[in-house]
Amino acid sequence: MVATLPPARLSRRTLLGAFAAVPLLSACGGSSGGDGKEMSFWNFYGPSDDQGPQSKWFVDVVDEWNKNNDVKVKLRYIPGKDYLNGTTLQTAFQSGQGPDIFLISPGDFLRYYNGNVLQDLGAALSPESKADYLPGLLEARSVDGKVYGLPMEIEPLAMYYSETAFEKAGLSEADLPKTWDETLAVAEKLTGKDRYGVMFETLPGYYQNFTWYPFLWQGDGTPIKDGKVAFDSPAAVQALKFWQDTIQNKVAPRKALGDGGGDVVSNLGSGAAAMQQSGIWAVADMRAKAKNFKYGVIPHPTPAGGKAATDLGGWAFVANSKGKNPEAAAKFIAWALGSTDAAGIERQRQWNTVVKTNVPPRKSVQAAADAKGAFDDGALKKFVSEIAPTGKPEPRFPPEVYQPIADAIQACQLNAADPGKAAADAAARIDTFLKTYQGAPIS
Amino acid sequence: MSRKRREALAAYAFLAPDTLGLLIFVALPMVLAFGVAFFKVDGFGNYQYVGLANYKLMAGDDQLLASLKVTAIYVVTFVPIAFVVSFALAMLVRNHFKGIGWVRSAFFLPNVVSLVVVGLIWQFLLVDKRGALSKLLAPLGLGDVSFLGTPSLALGTYVVISVWFLMGYQMLVFLAGLKDVPKDLEDAAEIDGASSWQRFRFVIWPLLRPTSFFVVVNSTIGAVTGLQAFDLVFVLTKGGPARATSTVVLYIYEQAFTFNNMGYAAALTTVVVAILVLCTGLMFGVTRGGRFDED
Repeated sequence: MVATLPPARLSRRTLLGAFAAVPLLSACGGSSGGDGKEMSFWNFYGPSDDQGPQSKWFVDVVDEWNKNNDVKVKLRYIPGKDYLNGTTLQTAFQSGQGPDIFLISPGDFLRYYNGNVLQDLGAALSPESKADYLPGLLEARSVDGKVYGLPMEIEPLAMYYSETAFEKAGLSEADLPKTWDETLAVAEKLTGKDRYGVMFETLPGYYQNFTWYPFLWQGDGTPIKDGKVAFDSPAAVQALKFWQDTIQNKVAPRKALGDGGGDVVSNLGSGAAAMQQSGIWAVADMRAKAKNFKYGVIPHPTPAGGKAATDLGGWAFVANSKGKNPEAAAKFIAWALGSTDAAGIERQRQWNTVVKTNVPPRKSVQAAADAKGAFDDGALKKFVSEIAPTGKPEPRFPPEVYQPIADAIQACQLNAADPGKAAADAAARIDTFLKTYQGAPIS
Repeated sequence: MSRKRREALAAYAFLAPDTLGLLIFVALPMVLAFGVAFFKVDGFGNYQYVGLANYKLMAGDDQLLASLKVTAIYVVTFVPIAFVVSFALAMLVRNHFKGIGWVRSAFFLPNVVSLVVVGLIWQFLLVDKRGALSKLLAPLGLGDVSFLGTPSLALGTYVVISVWFLMGYQMLVFLAGLKDVPKDLEDAAEIDGASSWQRFRFVIWPLLRPTSFFVVVNSTIGAVTGLQAFDLVFVLTKGGPARATSTVVLYIYEQAFTFNNMGYAAALTTVVVAILVLCTGLMFGVTRGGRFDED
């Protein structure tokens, strides 16, 4: 039985009840069987009718494993919204009923690592497999040289633009913005009665931060350097100001359509925005839902004197060190994502370039995908050859770090706050947290 | 067994399932939450007794203060507006006319839809530039107004949406109250020459005091902890823009499930409950429980 608490329907009663009902709820959803012969794998892809080929990939991978192994894996689907913002995973871990294998985002990595529930995957990973990952990706999921998560994909961010909107405004490819100033100027020309010239995420939260970091990095800024706060910097101030300018100049929306910044189909695709920052996943979305829409992709515009930058998002498989069979769970993960044999590479190629559009995190998979012409599509080619190489892995900031930054972004973007003061306030809050923080290094 | 005893027994038997349910799923969790408030809970099954530390933490929590303020503003605008609107509706559909069933149903209809769906529909109506409302307002030069994306407007927008959502329910409560107002009293007042305003002011209004009291208490509690204070905000703005809609229940949720501070969240919950108990008690005191004057 699946016992989820859909966050959107949380009532006063369930909220109050949530604290005590935790064991009850998770007892129903927890892993079944206690003999270490069956491991639960919680994810937001499958088995589910809505997720189509992506669900099928998960199901097939698990079937394949179960055919050849004694310790079986059992999938449990949790809808994405609940997985990301809901309570299912947290309440399960709180009551000691966490899944054996689950998906984790960089923003949650330290919380689970510091909670001592992540299993070291090292013993299950071959040296060839480790060497196959692109630089930095395993490091972002490691502590003291030990790997705790294997990335399943790389999702870089870029700017999408509508060719139709540009044509209508009498603009050509030569007008595609390369700098922040050009972006504001071009966006003004593209803004009309029914359309905004440019769009960034406006909903507060982890995802908004993720999309904003590239603009911070472009000016060489970073929230934390060598374990100390470094957020109160000219780079942060100018990046906050840039997003603020798009709203103050009335060339960007305060509230997006559909699912917001990550949803290109609903915004760029509907004509509501002429340029939109989003991730590589949107290529697959557009293929599926707006096949004939003409669009292109360009790298993030840069500030004067700044450098190109993007954020390499990506979820990872992790194993629960307090699960029923952590060693087998680690083996499953290493096999599913890290196998260097032909079948393993094919599995990864399927996930990254057939059922989804990602940049593959492994060199051998990139080569295999390239050989099959996966990146011949204009947008994907740009992502793989031009945009992803300028990227950094998504930072693994815990909530105490990303929340002050989120507040600074919101205050400047939507409430006309002074960027200098907002950056200083956020820095002070992060500093207070770091003074008492004792977990693994934050990067 | 005497008939009286048998009836009493039957009554208790009928009450038992509900009472048990309330005890197990409402009362017990509340008591446990109160207990959790004295612990630091890390989200991974570890509890550490910290005494009153969670309560002391609140003193320096600016964001808590800000979210309490958001909730307070919401309560003092939503409760009176919802009261007046639903009372006016009840008066409007009080007397029988052709098609009254339809009219009453129409007013009640929003209440049967899930608030999540309600939120998504309003988002559609209110979206920047392309929403139906923006189109309507465009001739006035207000086509660019972002109702959910502007900090000064977002909370007010929620008030409008939740009044629209809840007015049908409160209207029904008022209608039930109005039904209890004896017709002869009104007739007698009319014969004595009372104007329609006087009949309302001196006959209906005083007799409706218990109903009004119920509505005010109920909607105050709802405005602080109810669906509209969480579901709507969670679906539409996640507490933004710039924390303008970060209600206190949303803040508690964040503390529990984003920051994994279950103990602190539990402590916050007890404070909110205490504030509500105080407010309700105060209302009881001031209105003497909404009793009739002569009682």
